[in-house]
Amino acid sequence: MAGQREAQSVPWFADERPAEVIADGVRLDGRSLEEFRNVFLKTGVISQASGSAYAEFGHTKVMVGVYGPRQSERRVEYSEQGRINVDVKLASFATRQRGIFGQSPEERELSAGVQAALEAAADLASFPKASADVYVLVLEAGGGELGVAATAAALALADAGIELFDIVVACSVSRVDGCLLLDPSTDESFREQGGLVLALLPTSNEVTQLVSRGRWSGSQLREGLELAMGGCAQLESAARQCLKDAVVAAAAKQRQQQQQAQA
Amino acid sequence: MAAPLISQGEVEWITAGVSYNTRNDGRKREDFRQLKVQLGMLAQATGSARVQLGETDVIVGVKAEIGVPDADRPDCGRIVFGVECSPVASPAFRGRGGDELSSELARALERSMYPGPSGRGGGIDLSVLSIVSGKTCWVLHVDALLLNIGGNLHDAVSAAAKAALADAKVPKVQVVPGEDPNGKRARLQLPGHSRAGCYSSVSDPEAGLAWPSKRVYEPDYEVDDDPSEAMRLDASGMPICITVSLIGGHCVVDLTVQEELCSAAAMQVAVDASGGVCGITKRRQKGIEASLAMEMIEVAQRAAAQLHTALSSSLAEQQGQQQMAVG
Repeated sequence: MAGQREAQSVPWFADERPAEVIADGVRLDGRSLEEFRNVFLKTGVISQASGSAYAEFGHTKVMVGVYGPRQSERRVEYSEQGRINVDVKLASFATRQRGIFGQSPEERELSAGVQAALEAAADLASFPKASADVYVLVLEAGGGELGVAATAAALALADAGIELFDIVVACSVSRVDGCLLLDPSTDESFREQGGLVLALLPTSNEVTQLVSRGRWSGSQLREGLELAMGGCAQLESAARQCLKDAVVAAAAKQRQQQQQAQA
Repeated sequence: MAAPLISQGEVEWITAGVSYNTRNDGRKREDFRQLKVQLGMLAQATGSARVQLGETDVIVGVKAEIGVPDADRPDCGRIVFGVECSPVASPAFRGRGGDELSSELARALERSMYPGPSGRGGGIDLSVLSIVSGKTCWVLHVDALLLNIGGNLHDAVSAAAKAALADAKVPKVQVVPGEDPNGKRARLQLPGHSRAGCYSSVSDPEAGLAWPSKRVYEPDYEVDDDPSEAMRLDASGMPICITVSLIGGHCVVDLTVQEELCSAAAMQVAVDASGGVCGITKRRQKGIEASLAMEMIEVAQRAAAQLHTALSSSLAEQQGQQQMAVG
Protein backbone atom coordinates (compact mmCIF):
# COMPACT_ATOMS: atom_id res chain seq x y z
CA MET A 1 0.00 0.00 0.00
CA ALA A 2 1.18 3.51 -0.61
CA GLY A 3 1.80 5.93 2.23
CA GLN A 4 4.58 4.52 4.37
CA ARG A 5 5.45 6.40 7.55
CA GLU A 6 8.99 7.69 7.97
CA ALA A 7 9.63 5.92 11.27
CA GLN A 8 9.50 2.16 10.90
CA SER A 9 10.02 1.62 14.61
CA VAL A 10 7.14 1.83 17.06
CA PRO A 11 7.60 4.54 19.68
CA TRP A 12 7.21 3.58 23.32
CA PHE A 13 6.15 6.11 25.90
CA ALA A 14 6.46 5.71 29.64
CA ASP A 15 3.13 7.41 30.30
CA GLU A 16 0.03 8.32 28.35
CA ARG A 17 -1.05 11.91 27.90
CA PRO A 18 -3.63 12.92 30.54
CA ALA A 19 -7.18 13.28 29.29
CA GLU A 20 -8.25 16.04 31.68
CA VAL A 21 -5.92 18.98 32.10
CA ILE A 22 -8.06 21.29 34.15
CA ALA A 23 -10.36 20.63 37.11
CA ASP A 24 -12.22 23.30 39.14
CA GLY A 25 -10.04 26.11 37.88
CA VAL A 26 -6.80 24.39 38.88
CA ARG A 27 -4.41 22.93 36.33
CA LEU A 28 -2.55 19.63 36.50
CA ASP A 29 0.58 21.18 37.99
CA GLY A 30 -1.39 23.17 40.55
CA ARG A 31 -1.22 26.53 38.76
CA SER A 32 -4.16 28.87 38.39
CA LEU A 33 -5.42 29.71 34.88
CA GLU A 34 -3.39 32.91 34.59
CA GLU A 35 -0.15 31.86 36.20
CA PHE A 36 3.18 31.36 34.50
CA ARG A 37 5.35 28.34 35.10
CA ASN A 38 8.57 28.88 37.03
CA VAL A 39 10.62 31.30 34.92
CA PHE A 40 14.42 31.42 34.97
CA LEU A 41 16.35 33.77 32.67
CA LYS A 42 20.11 34.23 32.45
CA THR A 43 22.40 35.85 29.92
CA GLY A 44 26.08 35.32 29.21
CA VAL A 45 26.05 31.52 29.24
CA ILE A 46 28.10 30.85 26.09
CA SER A 47 31.64 32.22 26.21
CA GLN A 48 32.32 32.04 22.43
CA ALA A 49 29.21 33.92 21.39
CA SER A 50 28.81 37.68 21.13
CA GLY A 51 25.72 37.30 23.26
CA SER A 52 23.78 34.42 24.70
CA ALA A 53 20.86 33.61 26.93
CA TYR A 54 19.30 30.63 28.65
CA ALA A 55 15.59 30.54 29.44
CA GLU A 56 13.67 27.97 31.42
CA PHE A 57 9.87 28.09 31.61
CA GLY A 58 8.94 25.02 33.64
CA HIS A 59 9.89 22.09 31.42
CA THR A 60 10.76 24.19 28.37
CA LYS A 61 14.49 24.84 28.24
CA VAL A 62 15.96 27.02 25.50
CA MET A 63 19.50 28.19 24.90
CA VAL A 64 20.29 30.97 22.43
CA GLY A 65 23.63 32.10 21.02
CA VAL A 66 24.04 35.27 18.94
CA TYR A 67 27.04 35.69 16.67
CA GLY A 68 27.47 39.08 15.12
CA PRO A 69 26.97 41.56 13.71
CA ARG A 70 29.34 39.96 11.24
CA GLN A 71 29.71 39.34 7.54
CA SER A 72 26.96 37.03 6.23
CA GLU A 73 28.08 33.47 5.62
CA ARG A 74 25.70 33.05 2.73
CA ARG A 75 25.90 35.12 -0.41
CA VAL A 76 23.13 37.67 -0.03
CA GLU A 77 22.12 40.78 -1.90
CA TYR A 78 23.45 44.17 -0.87
CA SER A 79 21.24 45.73 1.75
CA GLU A 80 21.48 49.05 3.58
CA GLN A 81 19.89 47.43 6.56
CA GLY A 82 21.33 44.71 8.71
CA ARG A 83 19.84 41.22 8.71
CA ILE A 84 18.84 38.88 11.48
CA ASN A 85 19.08 35.17 10.59
CA VAL A 86 17.43 32.79 12.97
CA ASP A 87 18.06 29.06 13.09
CA VAL A 88 15.99 27.02 15.51
CA LYS A 89 16.85 23.42 16.23
CA LEU A 90 15.06 21.06 18.56
CA ALA A 91 17.47 18.63 20.21
CA SER A 92 16.67 15.05 19.32
CA PHE A 93 15.79 14.31 22.95
CA ALA A 94 13.69 17.47 23.32
CA THR A 95 10.36 16.07 22.22
CA ARG A 96 8.34 13.04 23.23
CA GLN A 97 9.26 11.22 20.04
CA ARG A 98 12.87 11.27 18.89
CA GLY A 99 13.55 14.03 16.40
CA ILE A 100 14.82 13.53 12.85
CA PHE A 101 18.20 14.54 11.49
CA GLY A 102 18.28 17.89 9.74
CA GLN A 103 15.72 20.65 10.01
CA SER A 104 12.07 19.64 10.00
CA PRO A 105 9.24 21.88 8.72
CA GLU A 106 8.26 22.69 12.32
CA GLU A 107 11.74 23.99 13.00
CA ARG A 108 11.68 26.09 9.83
CA GLU A 109 8.37 27.56 10.91
CA LEU A 110 9.74 28.29 14.39
CA SER A 111 12.77 29.99 12.80
CA ALA A 112 10.55 32.19 10.65
CA GLY A 113 8.36 32.97 13.66
CA VAL A 114 11.26 34.01 15.91
CA GLN A 115 12.82 36.04 13.10
CA ALA A 116 9.63 38.02 12.58
CA ALA A 117 9.38 38.60 16.33
CA LEU A 118 12.92 40.05 16.50
CA GLU A 119 13.13 42.09 13.30
CA ALA A 120 10.76 44.81 14.43
CA ALA A 121 12.65 45.26 17.69
CA ALA A 122 16.20 45.55 16.41
CA ASP A 123 17.62 48.76 14.96
CA LEU A 124 18.68 47.13 11.71
CA ALA A 125 20.10 50.39 10.36
CA SER A 126 22.81 50.26 13.03
CA PHE A 127 24.63 47.38 11.34
CA PRO A 128 24.20 47.76 7.58
CA LYS A 129 25.44 45.03 5.24
CA ALA A 130 26.15 42.78 8.25
CA SER A 131 24.03 40.07 9.74
CA ALA A 132 23.37 38.90 13.27
CA ASP A 133 23.08 35.11 13.40
CA VAL A 134 20.81 33.84 16.13
CA TYR A 135 21.08 30.13 16.89
CA VAL A 136 18.35 28.73 19.08
CA LEU A 137 18.62 25.27 20.62
CA VAL A 138 15.58 23.85 22.35
CA LEU A 139 16.88 21.43 24.93
CA GLU A 140 13.48 20.37 26.20
CA ALA A 141 10.18 21.16 24.52
CA GLY A 142 7.68 21.37 27.35
CA GLY A 143 5.19 23.74 25.68
CA GLY A 144 5.22 27.27 24.28
CA GLU A 145 8.54 26.90 22.45
CA LEU A 146 7.99 29.83 20.08
CA GLY A 147 7.30 32.26 22.91
CA VAL A 148 10.21 31.14 25.07
CA ALA A 149 12.60 31.12 22.10
CA ALA A 150 11.59 34.67 21.10
CA THR A 151 12.07 36.02 24.65
CA ALA A 152 15.41 34.26 25.06
CA ALA A 153 16.60 35.42 21.63
CA ALA A 154 15.74 39.03 22.47
CA LEU A 155 17.76 38.78 25.71
CA ALA A 156 20.66 37.29 23.77
CA LEU A 157 20.54 40.13 21.23
CA ALA A 158 20.62 42.64 24.09
CA ASP A 159 23.54 40.73 25.64
CA ALA A 160 25.37 40.93 22.31
CA GLY A 161 25.14 44.70 22.38
CA ILE A 162 22.91 44.96 19.31
CA GLU A 163 20.79 48.09 19.55
CA LEU A 164 17.15 47.32 20.21
CA PHE A 165 14.18 49.69 20.29
CA ASP A 166 12.65 47.62 23.07
CA ILE A 167 12.95 44.16 24.59
CA VAL A 168 10.67 41.55 22.99
CA VAL A 169 8.60 39.44 25.35
CA ALA A 170 6.38 36.62 24.15
CA CYS A 171 3.91 34.25 25.72
CA SER A 172 1.34 31.65 24.67
CA VAL A 173 -2.31 31.17 25.51
CA SER A 174 -4.36 27.98 25.04
CA ARG A 175 -8.12 27.53 24.95
CA VAL A 176 -9.16 24.23 26.54
CA ASP A 177 -12.89 23.52 27.04
CA GLY A 178 -13.70 27.22 26.94
CA CYS A 179 -11.10 28.21 29.56
CA LEU A 180 -8.13 30.37 28.61
CA LEU A 181 -4.83 29.06 30.00
CA LEU A 182 -1.72 31.24 30.12
CA ASP A 183 1.64 29.64 29.32
CA PRO A 184 0.39 26.09 28.57
CA SER A 185 2.53 22.98 28.88
CA THR A 186 2.61 20.33 26.11
CA ASP A 187 -0.07 18.21 27.81
CA GLU A 188 -2.38 21.23 27.95
CA SER A 189 -1.74 22.38 24.40
CA PHE A 190 -2.29 18.83 23.14
CA ARG A 191 -5.89 19.05 24.39
CA GLU A 192 -6.55 22.59 23.14
CA GLN A 193 -9.26 23.70 20.75
CA GLY A 194 -7.20 26.77 19.88
CA GLY A 195 -3.91 28.39 20.81
CA LEU A 196 -2.06 31.62 20.18
CA VAL A 197 1.42 33.05 20.66
CA LEU A 198 1.94 36.79 21.02
CA ALA A 199 5.27 38.64 20.93
CA LEU A 200 5.13 42.24 22.08
CA LEU A 201 7.27 45.34 22.48
CA PRO A 202 5.85 46.29 25.89
CA THR A 203 6.64 50.00 26.03
CA SER A 204 4.99 50.91 22.73
CA ASN A 205 2.48 48.03 22.90
CA GLU A 206 3.48 46.92 19.40
CA VAL A 207 2.77 43.39 18.24
CA THR A 208 5.83 41.92 16.52
CA GLN A 209 4.49 38.41 16.12
CA LEU A 210 1.05 36.87 16.41
CA VAL A 211 0.47 33.24 15.50
CA SER A 212 -2.77 31.43 16.18
CA ARG A 213 -4.23 28.01 15.39
CA GLY A 214 -7.64 26.45 15.94
CA ARG A 215 -10.96 28.22 15.64
CA TRP A 216 -11.46 31.44 17.61
CA SER A 217 -14.54 33.65 17.57
CA GLY A 218 -14.00 37.43 17.64
CA SER A 219 -14.70 37.84 21.35
CA GLN A 220 -12.64 34.80 22.38
CA LEU A 221 -9.74 36.18 20.35
CA ARG A 222 -9.96 39.56 22.05
CA GLU A 223 -9.97 37.92 25.49
CA GLY A 224 -7.07 35.68 24.53
CA LEU A 225 -5.03 38.64 23.28
CA GLU A 226 -5.72 40.61 26.45
CA LEU A 227 -4.60 37.68 28.59
CA ALA A 228 -1.46 37.33 26.50
CA MET A 229 -0.69 41.06 26.77
CA GLY A 230 -1.08 40.84 30.55
CA GLY A 231 1.28 37.87 30.58
CA CYS A 232 3.82 39.78 28.50
CA ALA A 233 3.70 42.66 30.98
CA GLN A 234 4.61 40.22 33.79
CA LEU A 235 7.46 38.78 31.74
CA GLU A 236 8.85 42.21 30.89
CA SER A 237 9.83 42.95 34.47
CA ALA A 238 11.54 39.56 34.75
CA ALA A 239 13.45 40.17 31.50
CA ARG A 240 14.60 43.65 32.52
CA GLN A 241 15.68 42.35 35.92
CA CYS A 242 17.73 39.63 34.24
CA LEU A 243 19.56 42.19 32.09
CA LYS A 244 20.18 44.47 35.07
CA ASP A 245 21.59 41.57 37.09
CA ALA A 246 23.91 40.69 34.22
CA VAL A 247 25.23 44.25 34.03
CA VAL A 248 25.73 44.45 37.80
CA ALA A 249 27.54 41.11 37.85
CA ALA A 250 29.79 42.15 34.97
CA ALA A 251 30.67 45.44 36.68
CA ALA A 252 31.47 43.65 39.95
CA LYS A 253 33.69 41.16 38.14
CA GLN A 254 35.53 43.98 36.38
CA ARG A 255 36.14 45.77 39.67
CA GLN A 256 37.45 42.55 41.21
CA GLN A 257 39.84 42.00 38.30
CA GLN A 258 41.13 45.57 38.57
CA GLN A 259 41.74 45.13 42.30
CA GLN A 260 43.60 41.89 41.69
CA ALA A 261 45.69 43.53 38.98
CA GLN A 262 46.64 46.35 41.35
CA ALA A 263 47.38 44.04 44.26
CA MET B 1 11.64 36.04 -5.11
CA ALA B 2 13.05 38.44 -7.71
CA ALA B 3 12.29 41.80 -6.17
CA PRO B 4 10.73 44.16 -8.69
CA LEU B 5 11.99 47.67 -8.27
CA ILE B 6 9.82 50.49 -7.10
CA SER B 7 10.73 54.14 -6.83
CA GLN B 8 10.08 56.38 -3.86
CA GLY B 9 7.69 58.46 -5.98
CA GLU B 10 5.56 55.40 -6.78
CA VAL B 11 5.48 54.42 -3.12
CA GLU B 12 4.24 57.87 -2.14
CA TRP B 13 1.64 57.84 -4.94
CA ILE B 14 0.24 54.50 -3.80
CA THR B 15 0.32 55.44 -0.10
CA ALA B 16 -1.48 58.73 -0.75
CA GLY B 17 -4.05 56.95 -2.89
CA VAL B 18 -4.74 54.45 -0.13
CA SER B 19 -5.34 57.24 2.36
CA TYR B 20 -8.03 58.55 -0.06
CA ASN B 21 -9.49 55.01 -0.29
CA THR B 22 -8.50 54.69 -3.97
CA ARG B 23 -6.06 52.28 -5.52
CA ASN B 24 -4.36 52.19 -8.92
CA ASP B 25 -6.98 49.92 -10.47
CA GLY B 26 -9.90 51.88 -9.02
CA ARG B 27 -10.66 49.49 -6.14
CA LYS B 28 -11.38 50.57 -2.60
CA ARG B 29 -9.22 49.38 0.32
CA GLU B 30 -11.39 46.36 1.14
CA ASP B 31 -12.26 45.26 -2.41
CA PHE B 32 -11.03 42.07 -3.98
CA ARG B 33 -10.06 41.61 -7.60
CA GLN B 34 -12.18 39.36 -9.76
CA LEU B 35 -12.07 35.71 -8.74
CA LYS B 36 -12.26 33.05 -11.47
CA VAL B 37 -12.54 29.39 -10.50
CA GLN B 38 -12.31 26.32 -12.73
CA LEU B 39 -12.96 22.88 -11.31
CA GLY B 40 -11.95 19.42 -12.36
CA MET B 41 -9.52 20.21 -15.19
CA LEU B 42 -7.02 17.53 -14.17
CA ALA B 43 -8.33 14.12 -15.17
CA GLN B 44 -5.73 12.14 -13.20
CA ALA B 45 -6.32 13.91 -9.91
CA THR B 46 -8.94 13.06 -7.32
CA GLY B 47 -9.97 16.70 -7.36
CA SER B 48 -8.53 19.85 -8.88
CA ALA B 49 -9.14 23.54 -9.14
CA ARG B 50 -7.61 26.54 -10.85
CA VAL B 51 -8.07 29.96 -9.29
CA GLN B 52 -7.25 33.27 -10.88
CA LEU B 53 -7.36 36.28 -8.58
CA GLY B 54 -6.55 39.20 -10.87
CA GLU B 55 -3.21 38.20 -12.38
CA THR B 56 -2.31 35.59 -9.77
CA ASP B 57 -2.78 32.07 -11.15
CA VAL B 58 -2.76 28.94 -8.99
CA ILE B 59 -3.59 25.29 -9.76
CA VAL B 60 -4.28 22.86 -6.93
CA GLY B 61 -4.56 19.10 -7.37
CA VAL B 62 -5.79 16.66 -4.74
CA LYS B 63 -4.59 13.05 -4.78
CA ALA B 64 -6.09 10.46 -2.46
CA GLU B 65 -3.86 7.66 -1.26
CA ILE B 66 -4.34 4.95 1.33
CA GLY B 67 -2.02 5.40 4.28
CA VAL B 68 -1.57 5.07 8.00
CA PRO B 69 -3.29 7.46 10.43
CA ASP B 70 -1.49 9.55 13.05
CA ALA B 71 -0.77 7.76 16.31
CA ASP B 72 -2.46 10.63 18.18
CA ARG B 73 -5.66 10.51 16.08
CA PRO B 74 -6.22 6.89 15.13
CA ASP B 75 -9.73 7.28 13.72
CA CYS B 76 -9.06 10.24 11.48
CA GLY B 77 -7.56 10.58 8.04
CA ARG B 78 -4.82 13.03 7.10
CA ILE B 79 -4.49 15.96 4.75
CA VAL B 80 -0.96 16.88 3.65
CA PHE B 81 -0.33 20.24 1.99
CA GLY B 82 2.47 20.95 -0.44
CA VAL B 83 3.16 24.05 -2.46
CA GLU B 84 5.48 24.32 -5.42
CA CYS B 85 6.73 27.58 -6.85
CA SER B 86 7.27 26.96 -10.52
CA PRO B 87 10.17 28.72 -12.30
CA VAL B 88 7.52 29.69 -14.85
CA ALA B 89 6.27 32.25 -12.38
CA SER B 90 9.60 33.87 -11.61
CA PRO B 91 13.25 33.12 -12.47
CA ALA B 92 14.10 33.35 -8.78
CA PHE B 93 12.29 30.03 -8.25
CA ARG B 94 14.88 28.10 -10.25
CA GLY B 95 16.29 25.17 -8.29
CA ARG B 96 15.76 25.66 -4.55
CA GLY B 97 14.97 29.36 -4.77
CA GLY B 98 11.28 28.97 -4.07
CA ASP B 99 11.70 26.63 -1.09
CA GLU B 100 11.23 29.23 1.62
CA LEU B 101 8.08 30.67 0.08
CA SER B 102 6.58 27.24 -0.59
CA SER B 103 7.18 25.93 2.93
CA GLU B 104 5.72 29.19 4.33
CA LEU B 105 2.56 28.79 2.22
CA ALA B 106 2.23 25.09 3.02
CA ARG B 107 2.60 25.59 6.78
CA ALA B 108 0.11 28.48 6.74
CA LEU B 109 -2.44 26.21 4.99
CA GLU B 110 -1.80 23.37 7.44
CA ARG B 111 -2.22 25.63 10.44
CA SER B 112 -5.49 27.07 9.16
CA MET B 113 -6.82 23.48 9.00
CA TYR B 114 -5.69 22.57 12.54
CA PRO B 115 -8.09 19.80 13.53
CA GLY B 116 -7.85 19.92 17.32
CA PRO B 117 -7.35 16.90 19.56
CA SER B 118 -10.42 15.06 18.31
CA GLY B 119 -9.61 15.55 14.62
CA ARG B 120 -13.06 17.01 14.01
CA GLY B 121 -12.44 20.65 14.84
CA GLY B 122 -10.79 21.77 11.63
CA GLY B 123 -12.17 22.94 8.31
CA ILE B 124 -12.81 19.38 7.18
CA ASP B 125 -14.02 16.61 9.43
CA LEU B 126 -11.10 14.19 9.14
CA SER B 127 -13.02 11.28 10.65
CA VAL B 128 -14.83 10.68 7.32
CA LEU B 129 -11.45 9.79 5.83
CA SER B 130 -10.85 6.89 8.17
CA ILE B 131 -11.10 3.37 6.71
CA VAL B 132 -9.97 1.08 9.51
CA SER B 133 -9.47 2.80 12.85
CA GLY B 134 -5.82 2.89 13.82
CA LYS B 135 -4.61 1.03 10.75
CA THR B 136 -5.68 2.58 7.48
CA CYS B 137 -7.07 5.87 6.35
CA TRP B 138 -7.24 8.10 3.32
CA VAL B 139 -4.36 10.52 3.03
CA LEU B 140 -5.23 13.49 0.81
CA HIS B 141 -2.20 15.14 -0.75
CA VAL B 142 -3.14 18.70 -1.67
CA ASP B 143 -0.48 20.10 -4.00
CA ALA B 144 -0.55 23.69 -5.17
CA LEU B 145 1.39 25.01 -8.13
CA LEU B 146 2.01 28.73 -8.57
CA LEU B 147 1.85 29.69 -12.22
CA ASN B 148 1.77 33.48 -12.18
CA ILE B 149 2.52 35.91 -9.39
CA GLY B 150 0.24 38.92 -9.37
CA GLY B 151 0.38 39.60 -5.64
CA ASN B 152 -1.63 38.09 -2.79
CA LEU B 153 -0.47 34.49 -3.19
CA HIS B 154 -1.71 33.20 0.16
CA ASP B 155 -5.33 34.10 -0.47
CA ALA B 156 -5.32 32.57 -3.96
CA VAL B 157 -3.68 29.35 -2.75
CA SER B 158 -6.09 28.89 0.13
CA ALA B 159 -9.14 29.60 -2.07
CA ALA B 160 -7.86 27.12 -4.65
CA ALA B 161 -7.20 24.48 -1.97
CA LYS B 162 -10.76 24.89 -0.71
CA ALA B 163 -12.18 24.60 -4.24
CA ALA B 164 -10.07 21.53 -5.01
CA LEU B 165 -11.13 19.78 -1.80
CA ALA B 166 -14.77 20.61 -2.58
CA ASP B 167 -14.25 19.06 -6.01
CA ALA B 168 -12.50 15.93 -4.70
CA LYS B 169 -14.31 12.65 -5.19
CA VAL B 170 -12.83 10.11 -2.80
CA PRO B 171 -13.54 6.55 -3.98
CA LYS B 172 -15.70 4.37 -1.82
CA VAL B 173 -13.72 1.74 0.06
CA GLN B 174 -15.13 -1.42 1.58
CA VAL B 175 -13.22 -3.51 4.05
CA VAL B 176 -13.92 -7.19 3.40
CA PRO B 177 -12.72 -10.23 5.32
CA GLY B 178 -9.38 -11.47 4.09
CA GLU B 179 -9.30 -14.75 2.17
CA ASP B 180 -6.73 -17.34 3.18
CA PRO B 181 -4.82 -17.88 -0.09
CA ASN B 182 -3.68 -21.49 -0.49
CA GLY B 183 -3.34 -22.21 3.18
CA LYS B 184 -0.78 -19.44 3.66
CA ARG B 185 -1.05 -18.16 7.18
CA ALA B 186 -1.32 -14.42 7.77
CA ARG B 187 0.33 -12.71 10.72
CA LEU B 188 -0.76 -13.51 14.26
CA GLN B 189 -1.90 -10.81 16.61
CA LEU B 190 -1.34 -10.78 20.36
CA PRO B 191 -4.42 -10.51 22.56
CA GLY B 192 -5.45 -6.97 23.39
CA HIS B 193 -4.43 -5.63 19.98
CA SER B 194 -7.31 -6.82 17.85
CA ARG B 195 -8.47 -4.26 15.33
CA ALA B 196 -11.01 -4.63 12.58
CA GLY B 197 -10.54 -7.67 10.44
CA CYS B 198 -11.98 -11.12 10.68
CA TYR B 199 -10.65 -13.97 12.67
CA SER B 200 -11.31 -17.63 12.30
CA SER B 201 -11.37 -20.12 15.13
CA VAL B 202 -8.47 -20.20 17.49
CA SER B 203 -7.73 -23.84 17.85
CA ASP B 204 -5.08 -25.23 15.56
CA PRO B 205 -3.60 -28.59 16.50
CA GLU B 206 -0.53 -28.03 14.35
CA ALA B 207 0.31 -24.65 15.72
CA GLY B 208 1.45 -25.73 19.17
CA LEU B 209 1.02 -22.21 20.47
CA ALA B 210 1.88 -21.62 24.08
CA TRP B 211 -0.50 -18.71 24.63
CA PRO B 212 -4.09 -18.05 23.48
CA SER B 213 -4.23 -15.88 20.41
CA LYS B 214 -6.56 -14.96 17.60
CA ARG B 215 -5.50 -15.74 14.09
CA VAL B 216 -6.20 -12.62 12.06
CA TYR B 217 -6.08 -12.33 8.33
CA GLU B 218 -5.07 -9.09 6.62
CA PRO B 219 -8.31 -7.32 5.65
CA ASP B 220 -8.88 -6.77 1.97
CA TYR B 221 -9.98 -3.48 0.50
CA GLU B 222 -12.46 -3.23 -2.31
CA VAL B 223 -12.26 0.13 -4.05
CA ASP B 224 -15.36 1.08 -6.01
CA ASP B 225 -14.56 2.76 -9.34
CA ASP B 226 -18.04 4.13 -9.90
CA PRO B 227 -17.86 7.95 -9.77
CA SER B 228 -21.45 8.22 -8.61
CA GLU B 229 -20.58 6.14 -5.53
CA ALA B 230 -17.65 8.38 -4.64
CA MET B 231 -17.67 10.37 -1.42
CA ARG B 232 -17.70 14.16 -1.72
CA LEU B 233 -16.03 16.12 1.05
CA ASP B 234 -17.90 18.80 2.90
CA ALA B 235 -15.53 21.72 2.43
CA SER B 236 -18.05 24.36 3.47
CA GLY B 237 -16.41 24.78 6.87
CA MET B 238 -12.94 25.22 5.41
CA PRO B 239 -11.38 28.62 6.02
CA ILE B 240 -9.90 30.98 3.41
CA CYS B 241 -6.81 32.97 4.25
CA ILE B 242 -7.06 36.75 3.93
CA THR B 243 -3.93 38.88 3.95
CA VAL B 244 -4.52 42.32 5.45
CA SER B 245 -1.63 44.74 5.00
CA LEU B 246 -0.83 48.13 6.39
CA ILE B 247 -0.05 50.88 3.90
CA GLY B 248 0.50 54.21 5.58
CA GLY B 249 -1.50 53.12 8.64
CA HIS B 250 -4.59 51.96 6.67
CA CYS B 251 -5.72 48.34 6.31
CA VAL B 252 -5.72 47.13 2.70
CA VAL B 253 -6.79 43.78 1.29
CA ASP B 254 -5.69 41.87 -1.84
CA LEU B 255 -2.53 43.71 -2.78
CA THR B 256 -0.90 43.68 -6.20
CA VAL B 257 2.85 43.15 -6.49
CA GLN B 258 3.57 46.89 -6.51
CA GLU B 259 1.37 47.55 -3.50
CA GLU B 260 3.10 44.75 -1.58
CA LEU B 261 6.37 46.66 -1.91
CA CYS B 262 4.80 49.67 -0.17
CA SER B 263 3.55 47.78 2.84
CA ALA B 264 5.72 47.18 5.88
CA ALA B 265 3.42 44.99 7.99
CA ALA B 266 0.79 42.39 7.22
CA MET B 267 -1.42 39.87 8.99
CA GLN B 268 -2.66 36.70 7.41
CA VAL B 269 -5.97 35.69 8.93
CA ALA B 270 -7.75 32.47 7.97
CA VAL B 271 -11.50 32.98 8.35
CA ASP B 272 -14.22 30.42 7.79
CA ALA B 273 -17.68 31.01 6.36
CA SER B 274 -19.23 31.75 9.77
CA GLY B 275 -16.63 34.42 10.62
CA GLY B 276 -14.52 32.35 13.04
CA VAL B 277 -10.80 33.01 12.95
CA CYS B 278 -8.93 29.79 12.21
CA GLY B 279 -5.32 30.88 12.09
CA ILE B 280 -3.31 34.09 12.29
CA THR B 281 0.25 34.77 11.21
CA LYS B 282 1.95 38.11 11.24
CA ARG B 283 4.27 38.76 8.31
CA ARG B 284 6.86 41.33 7.31
CA GLN B 285 9.19 43.41 9.38
CA LYS B 286 7.41 46.20 11.16
CA GLY B 287 5.48 45.90 14.42
CA ILE B 288 1.74 46.54 14.61
CA GLU B 289 0.11 48.44 17.45
CA ALA B 290 -2.15 46.15 19.48
CA SER B 291 -5.48 47.90 18.83
CA LEU B 292 -4.63 48.19 15.13
CA ALA B 293 -3.98 44.43 15.12
CA MET B 294 -7.53 43.77 16.38
CA GLU B 295 -8.86 46.16 13.70
CA MET B 296 -6.99 44.23 11.00
CA ILE B 297 -8.56 40.99 12.20
CA GLU B 298 -12.02 42.56 11.96
CA VAL B 299 -11.26 43.83 8.43
CA ALA B 300 -10.21 40.30 7.52
CA GLN B 301 -13.47 38.87 8.85
CA ARG B 302 -15.47 41.36 6.72
CA ALA B 303 -13.42 40.74 3.61
CA ALA B 304 -13.62 36.98 4.09
CA ALA B 305 -17.42 37.09 3.94
CA GLN B 306 -17.09 38.69 0.46
CA LEU B 307 -14.62 36.11 -0.77
CA HIS B 308 -16.56 33.17 0.65
CA THR B 309 -19.76 34.20 -1.19
CA ALA B 310 -17.84 34.75 -4.44
CA LEU B 311 -16.16 31.34 -4.12
CA SER B 312 -19.26 29.36 -3.15
CA SER B 313 -21.37 30.86 -5.94
CA SER B 314 -18.60 29.97 -8.42
CA LEU B 315 -18.36 26.45 -7.01
CA ALA B 316 -22.12 25.91 -7.10
CA GLU B 317 -22.22 27.06 -10.72
CA GLN B 318 -19.36 24.80 -11.76
CA GLN B 319 -20.70 21.77 -9.94
CA GLY B 320 -24.13 22.37 -11.46
CA GLN B 321 -22.54 22.38 -14.91
CA GLN B 322 -20.71 19.15 -14.16
CA GLN B 323 -23.92 17.45 -13.09
CA MET B 324 -25.63 18.51 -16.29
CA ALA B 325 -22.74 17.22 -18.38
CA VAL B 326 -22.82 13.79 -16.71
CA GLY B 327 -26.56 13.29 -16.25
